[in-house]
Amino acid sequence: MHAEQVKHDFEPKVVAFVCTWCTYAGADLAGTSRMQYPPNVRVLKFPCTGRIDPVFILRAFQKGADGVLVSGCHPGDCHYMAGNFHARRRFAAFRALLDFVGVDLNRLQFSWVSAAEGGKWVEVVTELTERVRGMGPMKEFKELELEEQWSASLSTPELKAAYDSIT
Amino acid sequence: MNAKAQKAKGCGIEPAYYDAVTQAIRSEAVKVLKEGAVSAVIGYLPGRRKSAAVPAVVTTEEEAGRLIFSPACVNNLSLYLTKAKKGILPGGKIGIVAKGCDLRALAGLMGESQIKRDDLFIIGINCAGVQGAVAAGNGQLTEASIAKKCRECTAHTPEGVDFVAGTLPHLDGLTPLEAEELARIEAMPQAERWAYWKEQFSRCIRCMACRQVCPFCYCEQCLCDKNRPQAVESSPRPAGNTAWHIVRAMHLAGRCAGCAECERSCPMDIPLNLLNRRMAQELKELYDYEASMAPQEKGPLNQYKEDDDQSFIK
Repeated sequence: MHAEQVKHDFEPKVVAFVCTWCTYAGADLAGTSRMQYPPNVRVLKFPCTGRIDPVFILRAFQKGADGVLVSGCHPGDCHYMAGNFHARRRFAAFRALLDFVGVDLNRLQFSWVSAAEGGKWVEVVTELTERVRGMGPMKEFKELELEEQWSASLSTPELKAAYDSIT
Repeated sequence: MNAKAQKAKGCGIEPAYYDAVTQAIRSEAVKVLKEGAVSAVIGYLPGRRKSAAVPAVVTTEEEAGRLIFSPACVNNLSLYLTKAKKGILPGGKIGIVAKGCDLRALAGLMGESQIKRDDLFIIGINCAGVQGAVAAGNGQLTEASIAKKCRECTAHTPEGVDFVAGTLPHLDGLTPLEAEELARIEAMPQAERWAYWKEQFSRCIRCMACRQVCPFCYCEQCLCDKNRPQAVESSPRPAGNTAWHIVRAMHLAGRCAGCAECERSCPMDIPLNLLNRRMAQELKELYDYEASMAPQEKGPLNQYKEDDDQSFIK
């Protein structure tokens, strides 16, 4: 019944921030239509893309996401009239900032997926998952997080070995 | 040009220029206080140490007669008008001494409905520049001591003010060090940029001086102070530091006036203004927005056009 699952060495964690009116319904449509897409994606529902704060994206990367997807209604279709227009400007600026700080923008995808576009949802999720899989784990933010938990300097070989074993 | 020749060139700002500005500020401040046009003037008084200056709120004519303007008058005084610093000003109309960059901050605060133009009496300064954070020398403005932001200042002459103090002396063109640094970082490969900022942010001690000194960080509760849910870790460790600086730059995008107070007040010498400038540059390119001395009704991220660029969205 299900397509044969391919075993991969690395399964990326992808976090999707979606708007409830369009993309969430679109993802739901993909599910009820029994379309197959990678189970790597974790969907988080928001009222609107305008509600999605850049901090959420940072937080996702810090806490272990390898890729982040932000998706909402097509321009002009926003349930709240202008939420996605504002989000579009905000994320354009945020992308530039992340790029300047040295984050690979290939891990961050934005898309418009309407409630009728189950197929596009599958396509977007599959493409992002495969791209991130190819890139390997998102090390940058995770390293920072690990350093955060590590309270001493690595002054002895034993400490160094212990540190290496957790990374 | 080699370093030595650059140093020898100097800025050539005569002390007489500062004396003239000081006199103009004093007489105007005394006048408006005497007339009762304002209840207080925010300006600079001489500091305790030689050739230092401190921000001050003066309410009497005697005090106003001691106001100064010198290369040490670095602070952006518009900070004291925000609700983050409420309670330090008496009610009524307030006079404020403002350099060009401070004026842009005032205009930004007016655009965000934080202050009203009618409540202010602005004493604008024809500003030749001020000192950098670690000023060398004897309180004179030289090429070695001038602040980086002043090297490529576009706001020497105040606009839309009630009184203009001083006349602008001849200014030598200086090399735009900050723009060069920005271009250098942008030209780096992405991994190298990450390493650069990781190193810079790792020094951060989270003293929050950059937030406290910023006229636009006037939120009564900062997102970064909140826990439950916590957005940004509050201890001075790598992950929280990086998140804090990214969030700070993002919250100031399209609002920052470019006064570079954050960078000046940073005790760890983190080049914060580079982040601000990069965002300003991006918003100029994308939405043709620039901080100006005239209040603008809406910032670039508070408005939209239906045909904004969306080439990055699938």
